[in-house]
Amino acid sequence: MKVKKDFIRSWFYNKKLKEKIRVLFLVLVMTHIATFFLTYYFIKKNMLDYMLDSNYNTMISIGNNLNVEFEAVDTMSKLIMTNSNVLKYLRANEYGKFISSHDAIMAMYEISNMFNHVSSIYIFKNKRDYIHISNQITYINTDLIFSSDWQDEIIKNKGLYVIRVNGDGAFEKRSGDLVISFIRIINDIDTQMPIGIIAINLNDNILEKTYKDMVSTDRNFGYFDDNKSLLIGNYEFEKLIEIDMLNDEYKQFIKQDIGSATIASYYNISGMPFVLAQTGRITFLKYFSDQAIGVSLIFIILSIVCLCVIGVFLFVYIAKPIDILMQYVDIVKKGWTKKNTKNEYLTSKKIKELSISKSTLIEVNEIINELINKEREMQKAELEILQEQINPHFLYNTLGTIADLALQLSNDKLYDAVETLGNFYRKFLSKGSKEVSIEEEVSIVKDYLKLQKLRYSEVFEDEYDIDEDLLGIKVPKLILQPLVENSLYHGIRLKGEKGTIKISIYSKDNKMYIVVFDTGIGMSKQQINQIMKEDDKKSFGFKRTIERIRYYYNEEDVFEIVSQEGAYCKVIIKVPL
Amino acid sequence: MYKVMIIDDEKSLRNLLKNIIEREKLDLVVVGEAEGSIEAINTIDDIRPDIAFVDIKMPFMDGIELSKIIINRYPDMQIVILTAFNDFEYARKCVGIGVCEYLLKPIVRADIRNTLIKIIEDLNAKKTYTKEIIKESYEEICKSDTIDNIKLYIEGNYLKPDLNVAAIAQEFGFNASYLSRLFKAETEIKLIDYITECRMKKAIDFAKKGTLMYVTAKNVGIPDPNYFGKCFKKYTNKSYSEYKKIICKSNNII
Repeated sequence: MKVKKDFIRSWFYNKKLKEKIRVLFLVLVMTHIATFFLTYYFIKKNMLDYMLDSNYNTMISIGNNLNVEFEAVDTMSKLIMTNSNVLKYLRANEYGKFISSHDAIMAMYEISNMFNHVSSIYIFKNKRDYIHISNQITYINTDLIFSSDWQDEIIKNKGLYVIRVNGDGAFEKRSGDLVISFIRIINDIDTQMPIGIIAINLNDNILEKTYKDMVSTDRNFGYFDDNKSLLIGNYEFEKLIEIDMLNDEYKQFIKQDIGSATIASYYNISGMPFVLAQTGRITFLKYFSDQAIGVSLIFIILSIVCLCVIGVFLFVYIAKPIDILMQYVDIVKKGWTKKNTKNEYLTSKKIKELSISKSTLIEVNEIINELINKEREMQKAELEILQEQINPHFLYNTLGTIADLALQLSNDKLYDAVETLGNFYRKFLSKGSKEVSIEEEVSIVKDYLKLQKLRYSEVFEDEYDIDEDLLGIKVPKLILQPLVENSLYHGIRLKGEKGTIKISIYSKDNKMYIVVFDTGIGMSKQQINQIMKEDDKKSFGFKRTIERIRYYYNEEDVFEIVSQEGAYCKVIIKVPL
Repeated sequence: MYKVMIIDDEKSLRNLLKNIIEREKLDLVVVGEAEGSIEAINTIDDIRPDIAFVDIKMPFMDGIELSKIIINRYPDMQIVILTAFNDFEYARKCVGIGVCEYLLKPIVRADIRNTLIKIIEDLNAKKTYTKEIIKESYEEICKSDTIDNIKLYIEGNYLKPDLNVAAIAQEFGFNASYLSRLFKAETEIKLIDYITECRMKKAIDFAKKGTLMYVTAKNVGIPDPNYFGKCFKKYTNKSYSEYKKIICKSNNII
């Protein structure tokens, strides 16, 4: 975890400023959007919870309403059952049938008129005899009613009522509408023996009435029977409620949509073959006022726009200019002297974009160039003074005079020495071209070593292994002599025994290798590492030589030192061909 | 055997070069030396070298001017320019006037040897070619008229520092050596000596007026006061300053 954190941190620090701003900006926008969605989510959740709660209460109260309705029907049935005329009809034998049935029917009318929802009332006597009143035409299946299958449950329930939809197929309204049959057995008050069955068929609006007041555009109710088929209500219930699940007493389903949710629930009303179903749609935004929504929308949009503007501003006016400045600094670091196209491009086009101050940068540019030119002229003047001090004419003429003297004395050895010295200085001091051919460079070293041999003939031998194809290659002047001088003074002479200096020049892989090898005291790894350090005064000549080579070829990797302490040292210069 | 002349203001270099040339045994002989261009112009007709070493940096008249004159008057003569690396730009001008060889100072035997071998080869090739052409025309011309004309010409042109036998020969359409012989036969004095004599007479006039030597030298067509001094001493047996003193004394006495 810590590693990952460090990784992210270093990743962020390594990014360019431009990209950092981009990332920050992105994070800000994301946070904003996330906050918005979180707020929305919590509001929605609270609302849903509230809705679910209130839904449950509504269902219970609807269930209670239905129970109240049936209690009224229960009362009605009891009034009919205990009516003396009805009892008279039920107790009468076959001969007094006509009169007593008339009175009973009249009593039934009177009682039923006090109650709502009544569609028809049937009172069955044993042996297929029955009386009835009805408000709507109703068909009756007497065979079914007098079958023991149909009557078993009713009889088993003793005096308690049974509610059946359409009387389990016994009744059917001509209009096709449902009837809810309220059926119970009639016991003789005196003997407490069953003497008949009463069936009160109720219109389906008894169910509807229970929820009528609570219906709205977003809320609908309906009833299923215990066979799980829809009695009244919208067909959408069948889609929303998984019918198989109707076994529980109470259950809710939530179907989420964008900006709204649909809640479906059902409630098994105890003691009745009915399942109350409800669907409700919540539109969350409905709970905010239009103004609130408008204001918050404007706020959100404004803040995102602000972020964008700030981001763009930061990017265009701060990050990008800094970026360009950094590029500038890079170019300055690499050196203004090189007039490459990139530089030109920057000075012309990109600075325009900078717009902070084109002239300032160009001024800086000019000042730097001026300084460089001044410095260069100073160096040139110093060099010229130095060369003037050496005064080749005087030197050459003097050397000529000495050579002449040597010849007059017939001292050939002396003459040779003077001639070599003259030759060496002629090449060494020659100004003008800064580059010379390998051939000349090697001949300078040969003369140099020849002169050094006059002093140290016992100390070293020199060997050459030079690829003749490379003799014409141009190299910066005097890169070999300082290396050879180092080999002699810091390598071989310090060893105290005779050594060899070998110069090899060859090409490999499109590179030219100039190798100065000596069997001197060599160098330790530490010394090799130290050699290019700025504060090391001893290696001044070597450093300057390497710097010149680097500058000339515009390459960093131009040399390598291989050495074994006490055995040898090998300086390898590699330059592009 | 080819003849070599060395023109350099450094005596040691002249000696060194001479020594080296002799030691190298290239069938060459150093027949003359000159300290400067002016001396060279006045002596070169007598010497007639095949090869001339010319130092590029000399006072009064530099090696390039001299080379131009030599190439113009002695087209067969081979010139070797002596130069230090410093003067290289300067020396490059020589290419334009037709000088073919350079030697870098300080001189090195190997370089000299290589250069001379090349020149000798060139000369050998030319010699076989030119031998047949050289025919001296001994036309019978009115000798005395010619001599008078030459004397008049010298009278009119002695101020020019580059006046010498070859210049006159070119002017009058003669072969230079023929002209020398002709002049000697007619006047019993060498033409170059006559020119010098003419100049010295003028110089004596200047001396009498007490003119400083270097001014006189310039005014008689020998702008190199060293060489002028030599000539004056040879002619009068006295140095210019001695001569001036004597004249002044005698003037005072009078």
